[in-house]
Amino acid sequence: MTGMGKLRSTARVALVIAALGGAWSVLPASAEPTFLSKQYPRCTACHYSAAGGGLLTPYGRSLSREEISTFGRQGASGVPSTGSTAGEEGFLFGALSSESPLQLGLDVRPSHLEVDVPGRTIADRNFLMNLDLQAAWRRDRWTAYGSVGRAPAGGGGELVSYEHWVAWQVTDTVSVRGGRFLPAYGVRFADHTSFTRARLDLAQDDQVYGLEVDVSSDRTLLQVSAGPGRAESLIDGDGRQAFTSSARFQVDLSPRMVLAASALYRATSDVAPRSTGTGLSFGYAPAPWLTTWTHADVQFQRLDASGRAYILANQTSVEALRGVWLRISPQLRWTDTDPRSEIRRLVYGLDLYPRTHWHVNLSYYRDHLPFRGGRVRTLLAQLHLYL
Amino acid sequence: MLACLGLAGAQPAAGAESWSIAGGEVRVRCRMTVGGSFDAVTSIVSGTLRRETQDTGSYTGELRVDLSTLDTGIGLRNEHLRSTYLELDRRPEFRDAVLSGIVLDQAPPAGNSRHETGFSGTLTLHGVQRAVEGDADLRRRNGRMQLEASFSLSLDAFDIPPPRYLGIGVRDAIEITVRFDAARDETSPDGGS
Repeated sequence: MTGMGKLRSTARVALVIAALGGAWSVLPASAEPTFLSKQYPRCTACHYSAAGGGLLTPYGRSLSREEISTFGRQGASGVPSTGSTAGEEGFLFGALSSESPLQLGLDVRPSHLEVDVPGRTIADRNFLMNLDLQAAWRRDRWTAYGSVGRAPAGGGGELVSYEHWVAWQVTDTVSVRGGRFLPAYGVRFADHTSFTRARLDLAQDDQVYGLEVDVSSDRTLLQVSAGPGRAESLIDGDGRQAFTSSARFQVDLSPRMVLAASALYRATSDVAPRSTGTGLSFGYAPAPWLTTWTHADVQFQRLDASGRAYILANQTSVEALRGVWLRISPQLRWTDTDPRSEIRRLVYGLDLYPRTHWHVNLSYYRDHLPFRGGRVRTLLAQLHLYL
Repeated sequence: MLACLGLAGAQPAAGAESWSIAGGEVRVRCRMTVGGSFDAVTSIVSGTLRRETQDTGSYTGELRVDLSTLDTGIGLRNEHLRSTYLELDRRPEFRDAVLSGIVLDQAPPAGNSRHETGFSGTLTLHGVQRAVEGDADLRRRNGRMQLEASFSLSLDAFDIPPPRYLGIGVRDAIEITVRFDAARDETSPDGGS
Protein backbone atom coordinates (compact mmCIF):
# COMPACT_ATOMS: atom_id res chain seq x y z
CA MET A 1 0.00 0.00 0.00
CA THR A 2 1.36 3.42 -0.89
CA GLY A 3 1.78 6.18 1.63
CA MET A 4 -1.15 8.04 0.14
CA GLY A 5 -3.24 4.88 0.08
CA LYS A 6 -2.39 4.19 3.71
CA LEU A 7 -3.34 7.75 4.56
CA ARG A 8 -6.70 7.38 2.81
CA SER A 9 -7.29 4.07 4.55
CA THR A 10 -6.47 5.58 7.93
CA ALA A 11 -8.73 8.52 7.23
CA ARG A 12 -11.56 6.19 6.26
CA VAL A 13 -11.13 4.14 9.42
CA ALA A 14 -11.02 7.36 11.43
CA LEU A 15 -14.30 8.44 9.87
CA VAL A 16 -15.85 5.12 10.76
CA ILE A 17 -14.55 5.46 14.30
CA ALA A 18 -16.08 8.90 14.48
CA ALA A 19 -19.35 7.51 13.24
CA LEU A 20 -19.33 4.44 15.43
CA GLY A 21 -17.45 5.42 18.53
CA GLY A 22 -18.43 9.04 18.75
CA ALA A 23 -22.07 8.21 18.54
CA TRP A 24 -22.05 6.94 22.12
CA SER A 25 -21.31 10.36 23.47
CA VAL A 26 -24.93 11.35 23.42
CA LEU A 27 -28.02 9.96 24.94
CA PRO A 28 -29.89 6.89 23.87
CA ALA A 29 -33.62 6.84 24.20
CA SER A 30 -36.49 4.41 24.51
CA ALA A 31 -36.96 1.02 26.06
CA GLU A 32 -36.29 -2.29 24.45
CA PRO A 33 -39.13 -3.76 22.44
CA THR A 34 -38.47 -7.03 24.22
CA PHE A 35 -41.76 -6.87 26.08
CA LEU A 36 -43.35 -8.44 23.04
CA SER A 37 -42.51 -11.66 24.87
CA LYS A 38 -44.93 -10.58 27.60
CA GLN A 39 -47.65 -9.97 25.01
CA TYR A 40 -47.25 -6.21 24.75
CA PRO A 41 -47.17 -5.48 21.02
CA ARG A 42 -47.85 -1.74 21.45
CA CYS A 43 -45.58 0.88 23.00
CA THR A 44 -48.49 2.84 24.47
CA ALA A 45 -49.11 0.25 27.16
CA CYS A 46 -46.01 1.46 28.97
CA HIS A 47 -44.91 4.72 27.32
CA TYR A 48 -46.64 8.04 26.74
CA SER A 49 -45.23 8.21 23.23
CA ALA A 50 -46.98 6.08 20.63
CA ALA A 51 -43.59 5.59 18.96
CA GLY A 52 -42.10 4.25 22.18
CA GLY A 53 -39.34 5.48 24.40
CA GLY A 54 -39.24 8.21 26.97
CA LEU A 55 -41.20 8.51 30.16
CA LEU A 56 -43.05 5.47 31.44
CA THR A 57 -46.74 5.68 32.24
CA PRO A 58 -47.82 4.62 35.75
CA TYR A 59 -48.72 1.24 34.23
CA GLY A 60 -45.25 0.97 32.69
CA ARG A 61 -43.67 1.91 36.00
CA SER A 62 -45.68 -0.77 37.74
CA LEU A 63 -44.53 -3.37 35.23
CA SER A 64 -40.92 -2.24 35.58
CA ARG A 65 -41.14 -3.15 39.23
CA GLU A 66 -43.35 -6.20 39.13
CA GLU A 67 -42.24 -7.86 35.91
CA ILE A 68 -38.77 -6.60 35.03
CA SER A 69 -36.78 -6.11 38.21
CA THR A 70 -35.18 -9.12 39.85
CA PHE A 71 -35.88 -8.15 43.44
CA GLY A 72 -38.51 -5.41 43.24
CA ARG A 73 -41.60 -7.52 42.93
CA GLN A 74 -44.04 -7.30 45.77
CA GLY A 75 -46.74 -9.58 44.37
CA ALA A 76 -50.49 -9.30 44.46
CA SER A 77 -50.64 -8.73 48.19
CA GLY A 78 -48.73 -5.50 47.85
CA VAL A 79 -50.27 -4.19 44.65
CA PRO A 80 -53.74 -2.72 44.65
CA SER A 81 -55.67 -4.08 41.68
CA THR A 82 -57.34 -0.74 41.14
CA GLY A 83 -56.77 2.83 42.20
CA SER A 84 -53.53 4.59 42.82
CA THR A 85 -50.13 3.40 43.80
CA ALA A 86 -47.27 5.40 45.20
CA GLY A 87 -44.67 2.73 45.68
CA GLU A 88 -41.01 2.63 44.91
CA GLU A 89 -41.77 2.41 41.19
CA GLY A 90 -43.06 5.97 41.23
CA PHE A 91 -41.10 9.12 40.53
CA LEU A 92 -38.33 9.41 43.12
CA PHE A 93 -39.54 6.22 44.79
CA GLY A 94 -43.13 7.36 45.27
CA ALA A 95 -43.09 11.14 45.38
CA LEU A 96 -46.09 11.27 43.04
CA SER A 97 -49.26 9.20 43.13
CA SER A 98 -49.98 7.17 40.03
CA GLU A 99 -53.34 8.96 39.82
CA SER A 100 -51.77 12.37 39.47
CA PRO A 101 -52.28 13.77 35.95
CA LEU A 102 -48.72 15.04 36.15
CA GLN A 103 -46.03 12.40 36.01
CA LEU A 104 -42.32 13.10 36.16
CA GLY A 105 -39.19 11.11 35.52
CA LEU A 106 -35.44 11.50 35.74
CA ASP A 107 -33.20 9.68 33.31
CA VAL A 108 -29.51 9.47 34.19
CA ARG A 109 -26.86 7.41 32.44
CA PRO A 110 -23.30 7.49 33.72
CA SER A 111 -21.25 5.49 31.26
CA HIS A 112 -17.85 4.00 30.59
CA LEU A 113 -16.66 3.58 27.01
CA GLU A 114 -13.69 1.73 25.57
CA VAL A 115 -12.95 1.80 21.86
CA ASP A 116 -10.25 -0.43 20.43
CA VAL A 117 -8.92 0.18 16.95
CA PRO A 118 -5.79 -1.73 15.89
CA GLY A 119 -2.91 0.66 15.42
CA ARG A 120 -4.55 3.51 17.28
CA THR A 121 -4.70 4.51 20.90
CA ILE A 122 -8.00 5.83 22.06
CA ALA A 123 -8.39 6.80 25.69
CA ASP A 124 -11.16 5.20 27.70
CA ARG A 125 -13.91 7.58 28.64
CA ASN A 126 -16.13 8.01 31.65
CA PHE A 127 -18.96 10.41 31.04
CA LEU A 128 -22.55 11.25 31.82
CA MET A 129 -24.39 10.17 28.73
CA ASN A 130 -27.50 12.05 29.68
CA LEU A 131 -29.35 13.72 32.50
CA ASP A 132 -32.95 14.45 31.54
CA LEU A 133 -36.08 15.51 33.33
CA GLN A 134 -39.20 14.16 31.65
CA ALA A 135 -42.74 15.30 32.31
CA ALA A 136 -46.15 14.26 31.09
CA TRP A 137 -49.53 15.70 31.91
CA ARG A 138 -52.53 13.62 30.93
CA ARG A 139 -56.15 14.47 31.56
CA ASP A 140 -59.19 13.14 29.73
CA ARG A 141 -58.21 13.01 26.06
CA TRP A 142 -55.21 15.33 26.24
CA THR A 143 -51.55 14.57 26.85
CA ALA A 144 -48.75 17.12 27.00
CA TYR A 145 -45.22 15.75 27.07
CA GLY A 146 -41.79 17.28 27.29
CA SER A 147 -38.23 16.56 28.29
CA VAL A 148 -35.39 18.85 29.16
CA GLY A 149 -31.81 17.94 29.83
CA ARG A 150 -28.19 18.66 29.43
CA ALA A 151 -27.01 18.48 25.87
CA PRO A 152 -24.04 16.20 25.30
CA ALA A 153 -20.70 17.77 26.01
CA GLY A 154 -19.83 17.87 22.33
CA GLY A 155 -22.94 19.91 21.70
CA GLY A 156 -21.99 22.62 24.14
CA GLY A 157 -23.61 21.28 27.28
CA GLU A 158 -26.56 23.65 27.12
CA LEU A 159 -30.12 22.65 27.97
CA VAL A 160 -32.00 20.90 25.22
CA SER A 161 -35.50 19.49 24.86
CA TYR A 162 -35.42 16.51 22.55
CA GLU A 163 -39.15 15.87 22.72
CA HIS A 164 -42.09 18.14 23.39
CA TRP A 165 -45.51 17.51 21.98
CA VAL A 166 -49.23 17.66 22.66
CA ALA A 167 -51.56 14.78 21.78
CA TRP A 168 -55.31 14.62 21.53
CA GLN A 169 -57.21 11.34 21.61
CA VAL A 170 -59.90 12.20 19.09
CA THR A 171 -61.78 8.92 19.41
CA ASP A 172 -61.02 5.53 20.92
CA THR A 173 -59.09 4.67 17.77
CA VAL A 174 -57.76 7.97 16.42
CA SER A 175 -55.23 10.29 18.02
CA VAL A 176 -53.32 13.31 16.78
CA ARG A 177 -50.14 14.82 18.12
CA GLY A 178 -48.07 17.79 17.16
CA GLY A 179 -44.66 18.98 18.25
CA ARG A 180 -41.20 17.53 18.34
CA PHE A 181 -40.91 13.74 18.31
CA LEU A 182 -39.08 10.90 16.63
CA PRO A 183 -41.15 9.67 13.68
CA ALA A 184 -42.46 6.14 13.96
CA TYR A 185 -40.42 3.87 11.71
CA GLY A 186 -39.53 0.20 11.86
CA VAL A 187 -38.65 -1.12 15.29
CA ARG A 188 -37.15 1.30 17.76
CA PHE A 189 -34.23 -0.42 19.40
CA ALA A 190 -33.03 1.27 22.57
CA ASP A 191 -29.50 1.40 21.18
CA HIS A 192 -29.49 4.60 19.18
CA THR A 193 -26.28 3.55 17.42
CA SER A 194 -27.92 0.50 15.85
CA PHE A 195 -27.87 0.66 12.08
CA THR A 196 -31.66 0.80 12.05
CA ARG A 197 -31.51 4.12 13.84
CA ALA A 198 -28.17 5.87 13.34
CA ARG A 199 -27.96 4.91 9.67
CA LEU A 200 -31.52 5.99 9.03
CA ASP A 201 -31.19 9.39 10.68
CA LEU A 202 -33.39 8.25 13.54
CA ALA A 203 -30.82 8.62 16.28
CA GLN A 204 -30.94 10.48 19.55
CA ASP A 205 -31.28 14.01 18.15
CA ASP A 206 -33.11 13.31 14.90
CA GLN A 207 -36.58 14.23 16.09
CA VAL A 208 -38.74 16.15 13.67
CA TYR A 209 -41.23 18.91 14.09
CA GLY A 210 -44.48 17.71 12.66
CA LEU A 211 -47.99 16.46 12.98
CA GLU A 212 -48.77 12.79 13.48
CA VAL A 213 -52.03 10.91 13.13
CA ASP A 214 -52.42 7.47 14.70
CA VAL A 215 -55.23 5.10 13.85
CA SER A 216 -55.32 2.09 16.13
CA SER A 217 -57.51 -0.98 16.06
CA ASP A 218 -57.32 -4.26 17.92
CA ARG A 219 -54.91 -5.74 15.41
CA THR A 220 -53.49 -2.82 13.47
CA LEU A 221 -51.76 0.49 14.07
CA LEU A 222 -51.23 3.13 11.40
CA GLN A 223 -48.96 6.08 12.17
CA VAL A 224 -48.56 8.86 9.61
CA SER A 225 -46.58 12.04 10.15
CA ALA A 226 -45.52 15.07 8.15
CA GLY A 227 -43.68 18.25 8.94
CA PRO A 228 -40.99 20.74 8.00
CA GLY A 229 -38.20 18.38 9.02
CA ARG A 230 -35.46 17.69 11.51
CA ALA A 231 -35.94 19.83 14.58
CA GLU A 232 -32.29 20.56 15.35
CA SER A 233 -31.70 21.59 11.75
CA LEU A 234 -34.68 23.91 11.82
CA ILE A 235 -33.32 25.51 14.99
CA ASP A 236 -29.71 25.69 13.85
CA GLY A 237 -30.36 26.41 10.20
CA ASP A 238 -27.67 23.94 9.19
CA GLY A 239 -29.18 23.29 5.79
CA ARG A 240 -30.45 19.79 6.57
CA GLN A 241 -34.01 20.85 7.15
CA ALA A 242 -36.41 19.48 4.54
CA PHE A 243 -40.00 18.38 4.36
CA THR A 244 -40.22 14.99 6.05
CA SER A 245 -43.06 12.51 6.16
CA SER A 246 -43.31 9.02 7.53
CA ALA A 247 -45.77 6.16 7.60
CA ARG A 248 -45.73 2.99 9.63
CA PHE A 249 -48.33 0.25 9.50
CA GLN A 250 -48.24 -2.49 12.10
CA VAL A 251 -50.23 -5.68 12.06
CA ASP A 252 -50.41 -7.78 15.20
CA LEU A 253 -50.44 -11.28 13.75
CA SER A 254 -50.83 -12.52 17.30
CA PRO A 255 -50.11 -11.02 20.73
CA ARG A 256 -46.55 -12.28 20.29
CA MET A 257 -46.02 -11.74 16.57
CA VAL A 258 -45.85 -8.38 14.85
CA LEU A 259 -45.21 -7.26 11.30
CA ALA A 260 -44.61 -3.59 10.50
CA ALA A 261 -44.03 -1.87 7.16
CA SER A 262 -42.55 1.62 7.18
CA ALA A 263 -41.65 4.42 4.82
CA LEU A 264 -39.76 7.63 5.44
CA TYR A 265 -39.45 10.41 2.89
CA ARG A 266 -37.15 13.40 3.12
CA ALA A 267 -37.24 16.06 0.46
CA THR A 268 -34.12 17.65 -0.97
CA SER A 269 -32.37 19.94 1.47
CA ASP A 270 -29.55 22.41 0.96
CA VAL A 271 -26.99 19.76 1.80
CA ALA A 272 -28.61 16.40 1.11
CA PRO A 273 -30.43 14.80 -1.79
CA ARG A 274 -33.99 13.62 -1.57
CA SER A 275 -34.23 10.21 0.09
CA THR A 276 -36.82 7.57 0.64
CA GLY A 277 -36.47 4.71 3.07
CA THR A 278 -38.67 1.65 3.20
CA GLY A 279 -38.47 -0.96 5.89
CA LEU A 280 -40.04 -4.17 7.00
CA SER A 281 -39.86 -5.29 10.63
CA PHE A 282 -40.87 -8.61 12.09
CA GLY A 283 -41.08 -9.29 15.79
CA TYR A 284 -41.68 -12.73 17.22
CA ALA A 285 -41.67 -14.04 20.76
CA PRO A 286 -42.06 -17.82 20.65
CA ALA A 287 -41.72 -18.05 24.43
CA PRO A 288 -42.25 -15.69 27.38
CA TRP A 289 -38.46 -15.41 27.77
CA LEU A 290 -37.48 -14.92 24.14
CA THR A 291 -37.99 -12.02 21.75
CA THR A 292 -36.47 -11.59 18.33
CA TRP A 293 -36.83 -8.62 16.01
CA THR A 294 -35.61 -8.50 12.45
CA HIS A 295 -35.57 -5.36 10.33
CA ALA A 296 -34.76 -5.02 6.64
CA ASP A 297 -34.41 -1.62 5.08
CA VAL A 298 -33.80 -0.16 1.65
CA GLN A 299 -32.96 3.49 1.12
CA PHE A 300 -33.21 5.05 -2.30
CA GLN A 301 -31.23 8.01 -3.61
CA ARG A 302 -29.49 8.35 -0.32
CA LEU A 303 -25.91 8.57 -1.48
CA ASP A 304 -24.25 10.28 -4.38
CA ALA A 305 -22.22 7.19 -5.19
CA SER A 306 -25.03 4.73 -4.91
CA GLY A 307 -28.68 4.55 -5.72
CA ARG A 308 -29.54 2.27 -2.85
CA ALA A 309 -28.39 1.42 0.62
CA TYR A 310 -29.46 -1.70 2.47
CA ILE A 311 -29.66 -2.56 6.14
CA LEU A 312 -30.34 -5.91 7.73
CA ALA A 313 -30.50 -6.12 11.50
CA ASN A 314 -31.67 -8.58 14.06
CA GLN A 315 -31.87 -8.36 17.81
CA THR A 316 -32.62 -11.42 19.87
CA SER A 317 -33.10 -11.16 23.61
CA VAL A 318 -33.33 -13.97 26.10
CA GLU A 319 -34.47 -13.57 29.70
CA ALA A 320 -32.07 -16.01 31.32
CA LEU A 321 -33.31 -15.20 34.80
CA ARG A 322 -35.87 -12.74 36.02
CA GLY A 323 -34.37 -9.32 35.32
CA VAL A 324 -31.34 -10.75 33.49
CA TRP A 325 -31.49 -10.41 29.72
CA LEU A 326 -28.90 -11.63 27.23
CA ARG A 327 -28.88 -9.86 23.91
CA ILE A 328 -27.25 -10.50 20.55
CA SER A 329 -27.60 -8.31 17.51
CA PRO A 330 -26.03 -8.93 14.11
CA GLN A 331 -26.28 -5.96 11.78
CA LEU A 332 -25.23 -5.38 8.20
CA ARG A 333 -25.23 -2.36 5.96
CA TRP A 334 -24.08 -2.06 2.37
CA THR A 335 -24.73 -0.16 -0.82
CA ASP A 336 -25.26 -1.64 -4.24
CA THR A 337 -22.37 0.07 -6.01
CA ASP A 338 -19.73 0.85 -3.41
CA PRO A 339 -18.20 -2.16 -1.62
CA ARG A 340 -16.14 0.15 0.59
CA SER A 341 -19.26 1.15 2.46
CA GLU A 342 -20.07 -2.31 3.77
CA ILE A 343 -20.10 -2.57 7.55
CA ARG A 344 -20.82 -5.66 9.60
CA ARG A 345 -21.60 -5.41 13.27
CA LEU A 346 -22.15 -7.93 15.99
CA VAL A 347 -23.35 -6.79 19.39
CA TYR A 348 -23.36 -8.87 22.54
CA GLY A 349 -25.33 -7.38 25.39
CA LEU A 350 -26.22 -8.05 28.98
CA ASP A 351 -29.02 -6.11 30.67
CA LEU A 352 -29.49 -6.38 34.41
CA TYR A 353 -32.52 -4.99 36.21
CA PRO A 354 -31.74 -5.79 39.83
CA ARG A 355 -34.25 -3.41 41.35
CA THR A 356 -36.84 -0.92 40.19
CA HIS A 357 -35.20 2.10 38.52
CA TRP A 358 -31.85 0.32 38.14
CA HIS A 359 -30.63 -0.92 34.79
CA VAL A 360 -27.07 -2.00 34.09
CA ASN A 361 -26.22 -2.26 30.42
CA LEU A 362 -23.07 -4.00 29.24
CA SER A 363 -22.63 -4.03 25.47
CA TYR A 364 -19.73 -5.23 23.39
CA TYR A 365 -19.63 -4.17 19.74
CA ARG A 366 -17.54 -5.70 16.98
CA ASP A 367 -17.59 -3.67 13.79
CA HIS A 368 -15.95 -5.06 10.71
CA LEU A 369 -15.21 -3.28 7.43
CA PRO A 370 -14.58 -6.13 5.00
CA PHE A 371 -13.25 -4.03 2.14
CA ARG A 372 -10.40 -2.55 4.16
CA GLY A 373 -10.17 -5.27 6.74
CA GLY A 374 -10.66 -2.73 9.50
CA ARG A 375 -12.09 -3.74 12.82
CA VAL A 376 -13.40 -1.64 15.69
CA ARG A 377 -14.25 -3.08 19.07
CA THR A 378 -16.26 -1.08 21.56
CA LEU A 379 -17.26 -1.80 25.12
CA LEU A 380 -20.02 0.21 26.74
CA ALA A 381 -20.76 -0.17 30.45
CA GLN A 382 -23.63 1.95 31.56
CA LEU A 383 -25.70 2.46 34.66
CA HIS A 384 -29.13 3.60 33.62
CA LEU A 385 -31.21 5.12 36.37
CA TYR A 386 -34.81 5.90 35.47
CA LEU A 387 -36.15 7.57 38.57
CA MET B 1 -87.29 -61.37 28.74
CA LEU B 2 -87.30 -58.81 31.48
CA ALA B 3 -83.76 -59.75 32.21
CA CYS B 4 -82.89 -59.20 28.57
CA LEU B 5 -84.62 -55.82 28.60
CA GLY B 6 -82.77 -54.95 31.75
CA LEU B 7 -79.46 -55.83 30.18
CA ALA B 8 -80.33 -53.88 27.09
CA GLY B 9 -81.13 -50.87 29.22
CA ALA B 10 -77.65 -50.94 30.73
CA GLN B 11 -76.01 -50.73 27.29
CA PRO B 12 -75.63 -47.54 25.29
CA ALA B 13 -78.38 -46.91 22.81
CA ALA B 14 -77.61 -47.83 19.24
CA GLY B 15 -75.80 -44.93 17.58
CA ALA B 16 -74.89 -43.32 20.89
CA GLU B 17 -71.34 -42.19 21.39
CA SER B 18 -69.43 -40.90 24.37
CA TRP B 19 -66.22 -38.91 24.28
CA SER B 20 -63.76 -38.15 27.03
CA ILE B 21 -61.51 -35.17 26.67
CA ALA B 22 -57.88 -36.27 26.74
CA GLY B 23 -56.23 -32.88 26.42
CA GLY B 24 -56.78 -29.42 25.09
CA GLU B 25 -56.23 -25.74 25.35
CA VAL B 26 -58.41 -22.73 25.98
CA ARG B 27 -57.18 -19.39 24.70
CA VAL B 28 -58.91 -16.20 25.84
CA ARG B 29 -57.98 -13.21 23.72
CA CYS B 30 -58.34 -9.96 25.63
CA ARG B 31 -58.28 -6.74 23.63
CA MET B 32 -56.60 -3.86 25.40
CA THR B 33 -57.99 -0.35 25.47
CA VAL B 34 -54.70 1.03 24.15
CA GLY B 35 -54.79 -1.33 21.17
CA GLY B 36 -53.27 -4.74 20.80
CA SER B 37 -54.27 -7.76 22.77
CA PHE B 38 -52.99 -10.52 24.99
CA ASP B 39 -53.95 -14.14 25.44
CA ALA B 40 -54.79 -15.90 28.66
CA VAL B 41 -54.16 -19.61 28.13
CA THR B 42 -54.74 -22.82 30.01
CA SER B 43 -54.43 -26.46 29.07
CA ILE B 44 -56.46 -27.77 31.99
CA VAL B 45 -59.56 -28.82 30.12
CA SER B 46 -61.65 -31.82 31.08
CA GLY B 47 -65.08 -33.31 30.59
CA THR B 48 -67.17 -35.90 28.85
CA LEU B 49 -69.58 -35.37 25.98
CA ARG B 50 -72.24 -37.82 24.94
CA ARG B 51 -74.45 -37.95 21.89
CA GLU B 52 -77.45 -40.26 22.00
CA THR B 53 -78.08 -40.73 18.29
CA GLN B 54 -76.10 -40.21 15.11
CA ASP B 55 -78.66 -37.88 13.59
CA THR B 56 -78.53 -35.24 16.27
CA GLY B 57 -76.02 -32.52 17.02
CA SER B 58 -76.98 -32.37 20.70
CA TYR B 59 -74.43 -33.41 23.29
CA THR B 60 -75.00 -33.97 26.94
CA GLY B 61 -72.21 -33.65 29.42
CA GLU B 62 -69.93 -30.68 29.85
CA LEU B 63 -66.61 -29.10 29.11
CA ARG B 64 -64.86 -27.83 32.23
CA VAL B 65 -61.93 -25.39 32.40
CA ASP B 66 -59.88 -24.71 35.52
CA LEU B 67 -59.66 -20.92 35.56
CA SER B 68 -57.01 -20.86 38.26
CA THR B 69 -54.52 -22.06 35.67
CA LEU B 70 -55.16 -19.26 33.17
CA ASP B 71 -51.80 -17.71 32.33
CA THR B 72 -51.33 -14.33 30.68
CA GLY B 73 -47.54 -14.41 30.78
CA ILE B 74 -47.39 -11.66 33.41
CA GLY B 75 -47.58 -12.52 37.09
CA LEU B 76 -49.32 -9.35 38.19
CA ARG B 77 -51.85 -9.65 35.38
CA ASN B 78 -52.52 -13.27 36.35
CA GLU B 79 -53.14 -12.31 39.93
CA HIS B 80 -55.49 -9.49 39.07
CA LEU B 81 -57.33 -11.69 36.59
CA ARG B 82 -57.86 -14.49 39.06
CA SER B 83 -58.53 -12.56 42.24
CA THR B 84 -60.11 -9.27 41.20
CA TYR B 85 -62.06 -10.05 38.08
CA LEU B 86 -62.82 -13.77 38.04
CA GLU B 87 -62.94 -13.84 41.87
CA LEU B 88 -61.95 -17.47 42.00
CA ASP B 89 -61.93 -17.59 45.79
CA ARG B 90 -65.38 -16.09 46.16
CA ARG B 91 -67.25 -19.39 45.77
CA PRO B 92 -66.14 -22.88 44.70
CA GLU B 93 -68.21 -22.73 41.52
CA PHE B 94 -66.33 -19.59 40.43
CA ARG B 95 -63.19 -21.65 40.01
CA ASP B 96 -64.28 -23.35 36.79
CA ALA B 97 -65.90 -22.27 33.56
CA VAL B 98 -68.36 -24.88 32.34
CA LEU B 99 -69.81 -25.22 28.87
CA SER B 100 -72.82 -27.51 28.71
CA GLY B 101 -75.88 -28.17 26.57
CA ILE B 102 -73.76 -28.11 23.43
CA VAL B 103 -75.75 -28.31 20.23
CA LEU B 104 -74.13 -28.38 16.81
CA ASP B 105 -76.19 -26.70 14.13
CA GLN B 106 -75.62 -29.67 11.86
CA ALA B 107 -75.02 -33.18 13.13
CA PRO B 108 -71.57 -34.51 12.21
CA PRO B 109 -71.54 -37.41 9.77
CA ALA B 110 -70.53 -40.83 10.96
CA GLY B 111 -67.03 -42.14 10.46
CA ASN B 112 -63.82 -40.31 9.69
CA SER B 113 -64.72 -36.80 8.65
CA ARG B 114 -64.19 -33.11 8.99
CA HIS B 115 -67.20 -31.07 9.88
CA GLU B 116 -67.55 -27.30 10.14
CA THR B 117 -70.70 -25.92 11.67
CA GLY B 118 -72.12 -23.44 14.10
CA PHE B 119 -72.87 -24.36 17.67
CA SER B 120 -74.67 -23.10 20.74
CA GLY B 121 -74.40 -23.91 24.40
CA THR B 122 -74.67 -22.62 27.93
CA LEU B 123 -71.63 -21.14 29.60
CA THR B 124 -71.39 -20.89 33.36
CA LEU B 125 -68.77 -18.36 34.35
CA HIS B 126 -68.34 -16.19 37.43
CA GLY B 127 -71.51 -17.71 38.84
CA VAL B 128 -73.59 -16.57 35.88
CA GLN B 129 -75.18 -18.72 33.19
CA ARG B 130 -75.52 -17.34 29.69
CA ALA B 131 -76.21 -18.80 26.28
CA VAL B 132 -73.28 -18.59 23.87
CA GLU B 133 -72.89 -19.44 20.21
CA GLY B 134 -70.02 -19.66 17.81
CA ASP B 135 -68.27 -21.76 15.19
CA ALA B 136 -66.87 -25.24 15.50
CA ASP B 137 -64.47 -27.25 13.38
CA LEU B 138 -64.70 -30.93 14.24
CA ARG B 139 -62.47 -33.70 12.94
CA ARG B 140 -62.92 -37.38 13.64
CA ARG B 141 -60.39 -40.03 12.84
CA ASN B 142 -59.70 -43.50 14.18
CA GLY B 143 -61.76 -43.20 17.32
CA ARG B 144 -60.56 -39.72 18.22
CA MET B 145 -62.21 -36.37 17.86
CA GLN B 146 -60.43 -33.04 17.57
CA LEU B 147 -62.49 -29.93 17.97
CA GLU B 148 -61.72 -26.25 17.65
CA ALA B 149 -64.50 -23.90 18.63
CA SER B 150 -64.53 -20.15 18.93
CA PHE B 151 -67.01 -17.74 20.37
CA SER B 152 -67.09 -14.31 21.93
CA LEU B 153 -68.67 -13.06 25.11
CA SER B 154 -69.26 -9.89 27.04
CA LEU B 155 -67.57 -9.57 30.42
CA ASP B 156 -70.42 -7.37 31.56
CA ALA B 157 -72.96 -10.10 30.76
CA PHE B 158 -71.19 -12.33 33.28
CA ASP B 159 -71.02 -9.62 35.94
CA ILE B 160 -67.26 -9.34 35.59
CA PRO B 161 -66.19 -5.78 36.33
CA PRO B 162 -64.37 -3.88 33.60
CA PRO B 163 -60.65 -4.70 34.01
CA ARG B 164 -58.78 -1.47 34.56
CA TYR B 165 -55.35 -0.88 36.09
CA LEU B 166 -53.43 2.39 36.10
CA GLY B 167 -55.12 3.64 32.97
CA ILE B 168 -54.86 0.44 30.95
CA GLY B 169 -57.87 -1.79 30.47
CA VAL B 170 -59.41 -4.72 28.68
CA ARG B 171 -62.37 -4.18 26.40
CA ASP B 172 -65.69 -5.79 27.23
CA ALA B 173 -65.84 -8.22 24.31
CA ILE B 174 -63.38 -11.08 24.52
CA GLU B 175 -62.80 -13.97 22.15
CA ILE B 176 -62.43 -17.54 23.28
CA THR B 177 -60.95 -20.40 21.34
CA VAL B 178 -61.31 -23.94 22.65
CA ARG B 179 -59.29 -26.82 21.26
CA PHE B 180 -59.50 -30.33 22.57
CA ASP B 181 -58.70 -33.86 21.68
CA ALA B 182 -61.20 -36.47 22.81
CA ALA B 183 -61.09 -40.23 22.81
CA ARG B 184 -64.15 -42.29 22.20
CA ASP B 185 -65.15 -44.25 25.26
CA GLU B 186 -64.94 -48.00 24.89
CA THR B 187 -68.52 -48.39 26.06
CA SER B 188 -69.68 -46.59 22.96
CA PRO B 189 -71.15 -48.92 20.37
CA ASP B 190 -69.46 -49.07 16.99
CA GLY B 191 -66.44 -47.43 18.59
CA GLY B 192 -63.51 -46.72 16.45
CA SER B 193 -65.23 -44.83 13.69
